[in-house]
Amino acid sequence: MTERQLDYALDLMRRLPPQQIEKNLSDLIDLVPELCEDLLSSVDQPLKVARDKTTGKDYLLCDYNRDGDSYRSPWSNTYDPPLEDGAVPSEKLRKLEQDANVAFDQYREMYFEGGVSSVYLWDLDHGFAGVILIKKAGDGSKKIKGCWDSIHVIEVQEKSGGRNAHYKLTSTVMLWLQTHKQGSGIMNLGGSLTRQVETDSPMSEAGSHIVNMGKLIEDMENKMRNTLNEIYFGKTRDIVNALRSVQSLEDAGKMKNMQAELFQHLKNRQK
Amino acid sequence: MADYEEQISDQEKLRIAEDFIKHAPPGEFNEVFNDVRVLFDNDGLLKSGAASSFSQYNKEQFTPVKIEGAEHQVLVTSHGELPDGTFIDPKSKQKFSYDHLRKEASNAEPIDVDQEAEPWREQLDSEYRKYIQNHYPHGIGTVYGKNVNGNITLIACCEDHQFQPQNFWNGRWRAEWTISFQGPGSTSELKGLIKVQVHYYEDGNVQLVSSKEITSEVKVTSENGTAKSIVDVIKDEEESFQKALSENYSTMSQTTFKALRRQLPVTRTRLDWNKIAGYKIGQELKTTTS
Repeated sequence: MTERQLDYALDLMRRLPPQQIEKNLSDLIDLVPELCEDLLSSVDQPLKVARDKTTGKDYLLCDYNRDGDSYRSPWSNTYDPPLEDGAVPSEKLRKLEQDANVAFDQYREMYFEGGVSSVYLWDLDHGFAGVILIKKAGDGSKKIKGCWDSIHVIEVQEKSGGRNAHYKLTSTVMLWLQTHKQGSGIMNLGGSLTRQVETDSPMSEAGSHIVNMGKLIEDMENKMRNTLNEIYFGKTRDIVNALRSVQSLEDAGKMKNMQAELFQHLKNRQK
Repeated sequence: MADYEEQISDQEKLRIAEDFIKHAPPGEFNEVFNDVRVLFDNDGLLKSGAASSFSQYNKEQFTPVKIEGAEHQVLVTSHGELPDGTFIDPKSKQKFSYDHLRKEASNAEPIDVDQEAEPWREQLDSEYRKYIQNHYPHGIGTVYGKNVNGNITLIACCEDHQFQPQNFWNGRWRAEWTISFQGPGSTSELKGLIKVQVHYYEDGNVQLVSSKEITSEVKVTSENGTAKSIVDVIKDEEESFQKALSENYSTMSQTTFKALRRQLPVTRTRLDWNKIAGYKIGQELKTTTS
């Protein structure tokens, strides 16, 4: 029953207005408390920012760096509020996590020119998994608020004695745009898109995982940026204009008839 | 997170179920209702307890319906609801029962209309329909007229929707305009509310939710003159709203979106990940040797 319910819960979350995602999710958990953990791990929410008290650096919060009510910082590897036995990656993986945080910090700076990023890794039986998070809020210029959240979940399996690795990437980008102006009233355009890709890449040296994951995520995010551009500013706008026509439909109809007549006329003359 | 373990009452669960149903995007009532039904897992209580949310949803969405024998569709709105839960079609001067789950009308029967409000309503109805036909490709309109002690209120409602679940999108435009006056010779306030909702959900969930409240003025003259003046204001206001929305789209895409994430770094080339991964190793060597 619960497994079936999870499918329906996820379908519901794909339909309800994403602008109220946090309220909807908490209501959904109240409605079906048995699904709590499943929902928290499968429904992406807008990322929250916290400050690491030891290093003074900002980091991002999500279900993957949460243990109970505490969140782990990727910079100091400690939980806030402090936890005695909070889950942390193995020593070897923590080393990779630190390098990945430095690498994706540079990536973020190059593409986002601001914002916050965090990478969290955890051990699996035959490899590891991780999440690469980026959040960037707009400066609110031209009275429009904007925010971008990237959530890249990656599963890595090392194969053929460590010469190859299989990467499975699930990327969600949330884009939020909002304005309240006299002429247009309230306009809220927001939500998320999710895409998946799997690939095998060679492992040549210690830094290979970062190079492979970096290329994969950069490629995915570039593609998703194009798709977001098309859907947000092309598709939804076309739909609005299919609901109401600024131009008089009578005039548009006449114009169409005139064009058809003209075309017919030209065709007849060619005969 | 520990709080989630606590069970809430059936009444509280019902409130959540109703809230979900009322927030179903245009054209997705059945899907949302089905999801809620499986999650709530108590059909009896849902059908008896959440019935008001079904009707609220249909009224809020300006759901169009066709009465048997009528040539036009009529909107199900709160303005057309009678105390016994039936709805009126002011144009054909009938009332009808409406099944909020099947979305069907039945038991249509003639009704008496207010003779003082009717000439005003009829003129606005005719002008408004011409306007809808000219600017809404699939638009449906309904105009209500009421008379309370010689104070006439006209309410014009319009909806246009496109449901394309096979292409994973749905959208609806709604507008509602209200004016009250005592008779010719006065200037009255015309109040409008426009709402647009678009849902795109192929491998995602993207929604546009937009609304605008408008207050304008109309000089009340003859029945026909007033109707024309009202529709002129509606046309101007709706057009300026649509144009402002379009301008927002342009600014969002050309300014806001571009400032959030670049298409490529300033260097106009993709990142050299070998360098990025290597840079770190080099830096480490430096710190260990120094």
